[in-house]
Amino acid sequence: MVAAALSTVTLTVLLVGLALALVQARRWRAGRAAAVDLWAGLAALPGRYLVDVHAVVGRTPFNARFHALSAGGFLAALALLVVLALPPLRHPALWGLLALALAAMLAGGLMVGYRRRVLRPAGLSGGRFNRLPLALTGFAAAFLLVAADQSAGGVLPVPVGLALVALGGWGLAELVFGVWNGPLKHAVHGALHLVAHPRPARFHDGAGRDSGLRPLDLETADSGPLGAGRVVDFAWNRLLGFDACVQCGRCETACPAFAAGLPLNPKKLIQDLVLSLDEGGDDRAYTGSRHPGRPVGAATSGPSRPLVGPQAMIHPDTLWACTTCRACVQECPMMIEHVDAVVDLRRFQTLELGATPAKAAGVLEELRATDNPGGRSLDRRLDWAVDLRLPVLAAGGTCDVLLWLGDGAYDLRNQRSLRALVLLLRRAGVDFAVLGAEELDCGDVARRLGDEATFQDLARRNVALLNGRRFARIVTADPHAFHTLRNEYPAFGGRWTVLHHTAFLLELVRSGALTVTAPLGQAVAYHDPCYLGRYNGETDAPRALLDAIGARRREMERSGLRSRCCGGGGGAPLTDVAGERRIPDMRMDDARASGAPILAVACPTCTLMLEGVVEPRPAVAEIAELVLAATEPTR
Amino acid sequence: MVDVAILVSVGRHPASGQARRAPSDARALELAFGLPPGRRDALHAGDPTNPALRDYLGMGLERLTVLAMAEGRDPTDALAARLRGLSPGIILTGNQAEGGEDSGMLPYVVAQALGLAIVPDVVAIALDAEGRTAEVVQALARGQRRALRVELPFVATVHPAAPAARPSAFGPARRGRIEVVPVDAPPDAFLTACAARPWRDRPKRLSVGAAGGGTGGALERLRAATEAKAGQGRVLVEPSPDEAARAIWDYLQEQGMQPR
Amino acid sequence: MTARRRDPRAERTARIVQTEPRRRLVLDPDAIAASSGGRPRRDPRARRADATLQTAPRLRLDWTGKGTGAAVSMSAPGRGQRAAPAAPPLRVIENPACLIFAALDRPDGALSAHDRQLLAAARLLADAVDGAVVAVAPDGADDWGALGADRVIPLPAAWAAEYAPERRAAALVAAIARWSPLHVLFPESPEGGDLARRVAAACGERLFAGVESLSASRVARRAGGGATELSCAPSRFLSIAADAVAPLGAVRHEARRLDPPETSPDAPKLREARRLPVDPDGVGLGEADFILSAGNGVTDWVVFADLGRALGATRAGSRVVCDAGHLPRDRQVGASGTVVSARCYLAFGIAGAPQHLQGVGGVERVVAVNTDLHAAMIKRADLAIIADAQAVMPALLRLAGEGGHG
Ligand SMILES: Cc1cc2nc3c(=O)[nH]c(=O)nc-3n(C[C@H](O)[C@H](O)[C@H](O)COP(=O)(O)OP(=O)(O)OC[C@H]3O[C@@H](n4cnc5c(N)ncnc54)[C@H](O)[C@@H]3O)c2cc1C
Ligand code: SF4
Ligand code: SF4
Repeated sequence: MVAAALSTVTLTVLLVGLALALVQARRWRAGRAAAVDLWAGLAALPGRYLVDVHAVVGRTPFNARFHALSAGGFLAALALLVVLALPPLRHPALWGLLALALAAMLAGGLMVGYRRRVLRPAGLSGGRFNRLPLALTGFAAAFLLVAADQSAGGVLPVPVGLALVALGGWGLAELVFGVWNGPLKHAVHGALHLVAHPRPARFHDGAGRDSGLRPLDLETADSGPLGAGRVVDFAWNRLLGFDACVQCGRCETACPAFAAGLPLNPKKLIQDLVLSLDEGGDDRAYTGSRHPGRPVGAATSGPSRPLVGPQAMIHPDTLWACTTCRACVQECPMMIEHVDAVVDLRRFQTLELGATPAKAAGVLEELRATDNPGGRSLDRRLDWAVDLRLPVLAAGGTCDVLLWLGDGAYDLRNQRSLRALVLLLRRAGVDFAVLGAEELDCGDVARRLGDEATFQDLARRNVALLNGRRFARIVTADPHAFHTLRNEYPAFGGRWTVLHHTAFLLELVRSGALTVTAPLGQAVAYHDPCYLGRYNGETDAPRALLDAIGARRREMERSGLRSRCCGGGGGAPLTDVAGERRIPDMRMDDARASGAPILAVACPTCTLMLEGVVEPRPAVAEIAELVLAATEPTR
Repeated sequence: MVDVAILVSVGRHPASGQARRAPSDARALELAFGLPPGRRDALHAGDPTNPALRDYLGMGLERLTVLAMAEGRDPTDALAARLRGLSPGIILTGNQAEGGEDSGMLPYVVAQALGLAIVPDVVAIALDAEGRTAEVVQALARGQRRALRVELPFVATVHPAAPAARPSAFGPARRGRIEVVPVDAPPDAFLTACAARPWRDRPKRLSVGAAGGGTGGALERLRAATEAKAGQGRVLVEPSPDEAARAIWDYLQEQGMQPR
Repeated sequence: MTARRRDPRAERTARIVQTEPRRRLVLDPDAIAASSGGRPRRDPRARRADATLQTAPRLRLDWTGKGTGAAVSMSAPGRGQRAAPAAPPLRVIENPACLIFAALDRPDGALSAHDRQLLAAARLLADAVDGAVVAVAPDGADDWGALGADRVIPLPAAWAAEYAPERRAAALVAAIARWSPLHVLFPESPEGGDLARRVAAACGERLFAGVESLSASRVARRAGGGATELSCAPSRFLSIAADAVAPLGAVRHEARRLDPPETSPDAPKLREARRLPVDPDGVGLGEADFILSAGNGVTDWVVFADLGRALGATRAGSRVVCDAGHLPRDRQVGASGTVVSARCYLAFGIAGAPQHLQGVGGVERVVAVNTDLHAAMIKRADLAIIADAQAVMPALLRLAGEGGHG
């Protein structure tokens, strides 16, 4: 009787949940088509879940533990409950197993409660999420009693048993109907997202990292709007991804813009997109932290309403505050690709509406007319180095290392570090050359600002330029150019070995081409550039290089793959959205706290952003400058 | 409601020489977007295949009419004839053409040909209720402004201090239509009489004593490129506040920034 | 403590030597020393003496002054002139081979530097062909003879102050019809340039606009977005860019008055012209002429605001102060703010970070007050003061109060 009730309740809830999930799926199926290999995704699902998701979740071990307990327990319990629905299989041992699973789940549920009630991390959403511990523990405890009772042969009075089934049924309903719109919808959506993920290569079964933006098809003129103007302009598997968000707030905690009080909270941004799937709603029910300084309830949602605008779900300041630093992507346990979403939204604003904020629009216009964002004449790129007589690689020419100078060559400060790098290459006897007046901007800024047309134009011409010359490798001191050339030019036919100068200098030091004669001996904090670390996974070489030149390296708060952005990426210095603080000021606080008198940087943008912080502050030194000083030939 | 015609030209970026929308013509178009909507006709005389024309379409213009003519032709008659047919209430154009003849004569010749008033250096236009006259604001030197009234129809040239032109977007630029109207235009005799050669920057200062003139040398270029421009000024170290104030005051007077 | 007071503009003018067809600035310390004392000071006594000379013109003909040399290679009105302020001999051109019109601006009723340059340009063309320079301008008390005019066509004096481009154009068109000048020169200034085009269009002729280098046989200017140089023989209508031609040195011409031609009084189409009051702080930063700018070294924002008002300057600041909310964000000067092109930039407590200096690249004169002698802003400054901004600002405010402003 009790067992039958248990089975009926369980199966009913699951079936209703399934039906609701199907209805739910209609929402994101409204998105654009996407090429997805579902079978491969399904096959890869367990691995992706166990390896990749848990690698992220495991960064906070407490969470990993309660998740393993509650989710593992829940899944096992559900499976057993389904099995136990068949009367012949109702064996006491199975009931015992069920009790075990539910006990694990109960422990997990209690931990969830502890986290929500006692620890209360700021990034968590409240609202219906606050019922989660109750539902978990209620379901687990009630069914645990029933299962224990059944394995013991059913000693409880039937009314008590039925009451327990009812209580557990409520908990289960709370958990499963959550698939429709609540705490647990992430389980189904999360799994489907892992199956149909738009970047399968980012998982351990692929390349392990996939950070280059996808080219936008500009050739077919009638393939709909460029970028995403309405939520249904996103591909369906992107919408599925957004829908998987559990509002855990890890992205919010990592986001530099949010921390600086800029009106951007990546979690809310994803929720804005999720809410936009429903017609006529608004964000009043959202219970997490807002976009700093912005109200809720002001805009009406709808799948075909404009997403971005002063009166729309997403305010333009929110969109343009993002530095594309990928800290959110790095932290998201649901593997959501925030930066792709931001860039898709920006593409529509820039390519369809021309709504790029003023300074940024001006830079794009200069870039189009002069092939460099500063609007300067290309034959002045080498002005700073006339005394160095840099060899220029002409079409058809050959060299070992092609030095990509980037836009830093136009900037007084960065010319100093480029000069150091050139002197080091000379000192080490490297056969190198530059492109001189023929080097065009790599298009990084244009692309992050959504100007895919300008980017592709630059990319094609740069690729043609580089493919017309012979060299073994490209070395650049600019992580943005490094990322673009290495990860984004292959789509345009450019495949070369691209090295960041820190890796190359390390090679020179290790091979003995550069000898450390004057070890630095000072404490140095190293700031990881987003486009080197998170975008390319390169966090070791710069550190090894600093160690090799005798720096006493100190780690700052937030470093390596979890480094905090300097505020300079994604065109953010151009869109210059106002906040409570400046991102580089916050980053400099991390450096100050490390106590190191020198902050080593490895990116021209970081150099400018961090040196723009008002003194007193640690001195900002580009790694090449430190290496130059440490390898001075002794006379 | 007012019908507006906008004359646009092709500009040339000063650093790269690359063709682009002419900044002040773009502002003229921007000003036209701000006027109460009537017919809006954008006209260009020249090569209809010039990709820079799409920059204007990218601002949200649906159609651009190009009076197709070869380079070195005098577009004024053709434009005047076309405008006579359109008879717009306001004809707008930039006050500085960036390419072609560069002399800024065109709007004046057009105004003369059509017998219209011309208002230079406009930054704002407000129509009266009947749309018969307009209150026009002109930019003067040093941020000053002058207002005046003019009867429609008239020609106005737009000043660089007018509101910034909206960015040009790729999508609309690609979708916009270029309507080609072949016209007969006479060769521009005035322009063909002129000799053109690449502009060379003149040396700013020629030091009499310096050997070889000291210009254009590698080191000099290096210095120019890598050193912040320095004024070789006078430095007062820790003067009393009154001395300091006096020195500043005198300097401001010398520079004509303060009345004597 | 103080160095000799310099007037860099006068110095530069003094250094200008006309070599054909390019303008060169020659650094000649002697010439500068001679003209030191800054901008040309008017010497009323000398002027009166000049005027006296004019009363007996016919007796003092100077035939040696013929030829172009004296008028063209106007080396500094230097030492010689100072040492012996004898007025140059009067030149009368009785029967000119042709007339060269110089349509002067006289903005706000006073001759501008650009007007003087225009007269010099007209002289250059006239002297090459034995022509006479005819100044066409709203009448005024100017000593037209000393400015290089052989003839003057005075227009109503009131036109200088009014905005009457149509009437001016009509008067010029009438004068051109009557006297058929060989060349008509205009200053390529906002109003002069407008007039030039009106007149040229009305005469059905073309204008060679914005002449940047001028000789008797060739005029040239930049075209094609600055990439090419366009040149030709001087056309009939020319407008001359500012600072393209050095003003004349000491000369004396007849300045015979001609009767202005009658013009039919067409009702002007541009009506009710009036200046709009512009608050200095309402001027767009990019257009501002005089900027008072504050950096992180400023703490007394009340005095700063008062000082801005007293000096009639547009207030601005570095990013730090705009971030801190002391000034609105649109008042930020620099790479990510506004790039300004003021004639004078008075900076209190600004370090001069590269991003800030990028914003003042186009400024003519920088005055900086900073406690740090090594601040980059101090290096960029034409007048640098190492002192506490909070002490200097009130002192300057007092002076400005006495100075009659605000
Ligand atoms: C991408 C980027 C863009 C930027 N764009 C801009 C920009 O557009 N505009 C801009 O201004 N900055 C910009 N910056 C910031 C810039 O780098 C500097 O941080 C900023 O200009 C410093 O402002 P400051 O000189 O007012 O402050 P500080 O650097 O703090 O300098 C204050 C100065 O005042 C002096 N001082 C202190 N006390 C006194 C006193 N009592 N009397 C007199 N002097 C005193 C000090 O000696 C010092 O020189 C940008 C930075 C970045 C990274
Ligand atoms: S990419 Fe960086 S700035 Fe943008 S939302 Fe994510 S964490 Fe925030
Ligand atoms: S987007 Fe990802 S990290 Fe951010 S709240 Fe949602 S699930 Fe968490």
